[in-house]
Formats: sequence, structure tokens, C-alpha cells
Amino acid sequence: MIVLALDALDLNMVKRYKCESLMQIECGQTSLSEFQLERTVVLWASFLTGKNMESRIPLKTQWEFKLKPEETFFPFFKTYKAIDLPAFSLKENNHAEERKLLKKYFDEETTVEEYDALAWKNHEENKKDFFDSLGRFDMVMGYFDLADAIGHLSFGIPEKMEKVYVELESITREVKSSSDEFTLIISDHGMKPVGKYGDHNRNGFYSTNRRLALNLPRITDFYNIIKGVAQGESS
Amino acid sequence: MEDYLSNLEKRSISIIREAKAQFKNLAVLWSTGKDSTATLWLCKKSFFGKIPFPVIHIDTSYKFPEIYEFRDKIAKEWDLDLTIARNEESIKSDMSPEKGKLACCTQLKTEALRNFIKEREFDALILAIRRDEHGIRAKERYFSPRDEEFRWQYADQPAELWDLYVKPSEDFSHMRVHPILHWTELEVWQYVKRENLPINPLYFAKDGMRYRSLGCKPCTVPIPSKASTIDEIVEELTTTKVPERAGRAQDKEKAYMMQKLRSLGYM
Repeated sequence: MIVLALDALDLNMVKRYKCESLMQIECGQTSLSEFQLERTVVLWASFLTGKNMESRIPLKTQWEFKLKPEETFFPFFKTYKAIDLPAFSLKENNHAEERKLLKKYFDEETTVEEYDALAWKNHEENKKDFFDSLGRFDMVMGYFDLADAIGHLSFGIPEKMEKVYVELESITREVKSSSDEFTLIISDHGMKPVGKYGDHNRNGFYSTNRRLALNLPRITDFYNIIKGVAQGESS
Repeated sequence: MEDYLSNLEKRSISIIREAKAQFKNLAVLWSTGKDSTATLWLCKKSFFGKIPFPVIHIDTSYKFPEIYEFRDKIAKEWDLDLTIARNEESIKSDMSPEKGKLACCTQLKTEALRNFIKEREFDALILAIRRDEHGIRAKERYFSPRDEEFRWQYADQPAELWDLYVKPSEDFSHMRVHPILHWTELEVWQYVKRENLPINPLYFAKDGMRYRSLGCKPCTVPIPSKASTIDEIVEELTTTKVPERAGRAQDKEKAYMMQKLRSLGYM
């Protein structure tokens, strides 16, 4: 099984840029109605455990929060690889560096170009790790925060966001051309413009390469779907 | 109109009295602008002429000379317990808008206030913000908790049903109290006229320009206007389509994003 965890991938943007590979066979919006805030770490932890983790993850220490493997769906697979997953296998230095530059940008100590360059560099690193892992594990889950990282400072700049969506579409196209494994593409939340900036919204995205006929699934609903896939594959 | 303004006033006075009853160490912020001067007047009325807590003026050192003159004159006339909060360290290190408007505001306003709150151990502050000023302020409550980083969890605020302003049980650094949150800019001016309140002369048109919102001199620009009396300002506001804070330079979208990213834990 392959899971592409695409932070802030927005259903409307996927449709706007006609990203057909990202849309797969079935796609739609997820429901975040059970959450008070669209916090990245909380949403991914909830996806991994099938439980609303909002009360368990304090805001101040959220980036250090780590789930044990047995709390997640990963042990349902014989072998798995989780790349840069918030609340599980986050590359802490990369993300701390991104957040540091984000703060510097608001303090007017750096430029958006420098921040973008770091986001793209981290993205390329994850992309390499992801493609190196494909075919070597029963489950590969790759996390890419490009749409979120670039979007926060530039969601209102169409040329930049188109480049991001084209990149994510090309990753998906490559995955689909090399594998017909069950593939889930999921985002934690969507994004809306605030002038040239971007703010989280509840327009989260999912798509699958099998027809599941889901109707506004909660992000926590995918735990059992993934468990079912794992059990189906092992039987 | 008289009844309407009286109702606004009554509600504000009840909020101010509630704050005084609930908090041990209360203070009111005063920029000398029309809103905070009207709020000071409401505080005076709430306690029969004498404000029983400190009045804080945050001095960035970049204010208009008219602001300092007005501040000192009114402080004397109204017998205020006035305290000036300044971030001396940043002022000495030549912090200025040229080094970045947001960084300057953060150092000279936010940090000055943060240090002062810590030093004087205030547990609540009265501020003269209004919901109609800006989109982000429309989400505010009358009683709005802040943590020690001044973070505001706007998606997780106490409900304020039936005029019950509940002090939240969880930890917070201090409470922001907003007694004129429900007023509009026009209503503030109508109240200024009714109560015959003193007003900073910068608000009145001179050579076809006037200030509609007062901030620091380098970051505030006047708007074209012929309104040189309160009546003319009221008349102007009934027809204008220009936002109140259009003359303030700080990038509001950037400020909103910074606030939002902080509330999401990014910074």
C-alpha cells in the first residue's frame, strides 16, 4: 500500500489545476468537523491512530509529540516505511529550520525566496527517500509539506501555487506509472487565501485508486480502511 | 439616538465594573485616540468620576507631538494614575520602522507592554478595540484570555451568553477586557459629541487632510477630508467607503497571518 500524505492539499486547487493523477478513481473532501483547529500534528496523529488526538497534543510541544508504532496502523503491515511523518517520524531539524525561517520572514530578517528555497530543498529530500522506498516495503507513507509551506506565504500568488500542484501531480503520476498498489492520497486540511498569504481551511482532500464510495469521510475513518487493506493483503 | 447611545454606554459600564470585580490588578490602556479616550470616560463614569486603577500609555517614542501634549493635559485634568510603558532597550538600540514595520511594532508596542505586564503583575487590561475595525477583531470576546506569549486562541474562547462574562478556569497570563467591542466608529463619534469629550486635534481637518486613526508618526498618514468639527466628522462617516484604518501602514494581512500561525503552533 502507498499513502501520499500531502499537507494542505486543497480539493478546489486540485480541480482548478486539473490534477487528474491526484484525483485518481475517487476523490472528495474530508470532514474536520470533530476538530476545533486545523493543527497539522493533531490531524496527522488522528489519521494515524483513527482517534481524535486534539486533547492529547499540547500546542507548545506539538512538534516533539511522537506516537508509538503500536498506536498507529503501521504494525498491520509486515514491513513499512514512514517518511517525515508529523507525530511519528518527523525530520525535526528540517521542520525546525522551516519554522525558524518563517519566523524570520515575519520579523523581516529574511526573504520569502530564501524560505521557499528551503521548503523546496526539504521537499526534494523527501521525494528521494520516498521513491527509494517504493517496492521495498508492504506500506510506504510519504509526507510532503510543500503545498503548506509555500502556501502560507504565497497561496494568493497563482504562479507559485501552480508550480507546487504541478510538482505534486508529477509525483503521483510517477507513482501510478510504477505501481498498481492500493494508493491513498490524503491531506490534513485545505487552504484559503489571505491576501497573498494562505490560511488553513477545512477543505481537506482524499483520493483513492479503488472505488470506495466514501461520503465526506472523517480523517479518522481511514484507519479502518487502511487496516482492511493490510488484512486483505495478508490473507 | 440618545437611548441607543445610553444602551451602549450601560453595557460598557457593566463590563468595566465586572472586570474590576473579577480581577485583582486591573489597568486600562490609553493611546489618546478617540476610542481609548471614550473608554477612559466610561471608566470614569463607572466609578463616579475617579478611575480606581492605573492608566497605561505605551510610548514608542515615535508618536505625534500632539499625542504627548493631549496625554499630559488630560491626565492632569482627569486626575489619572498615568504610567508610561516604554521598551527602553529597543529605543536605545535605535529600533525604527526602517528596520521593518512589524518588527518595530513588536519591539516598541508588544514587548513594551509584555514587560510592563510582567513587572506590574497585571491580571487584566482594558482595551478600546471594536469589532468593526478589522476582520480579525470581529472574532473577539468582551473577556479574552491571553497566554504569556500574548497568544489568543480565537477558536477556543469562552462563550459569552446572556451577558455572562465567565473567567476561564484554565491558566492564562492575563485577560483582555473590551468594553466598547460592540460600538462602531460612528457611534464613538456620536458619543464624543454627546458627552462633549476632549479630542486630539489631529482628528480635525487641516489643509484638506485629517487623521482618522492615530498611530506612530512615521506609519500613519492622513486621509483627504474637510471635516473640521465633530458634526462634520459624523456627517463624513455616514457616507464614506474608506476603511477606518486605511491610513495605518502596518500590513494587516501579514499581521493576521503571523497571529494565525502562532495560534497553530508554527511560531
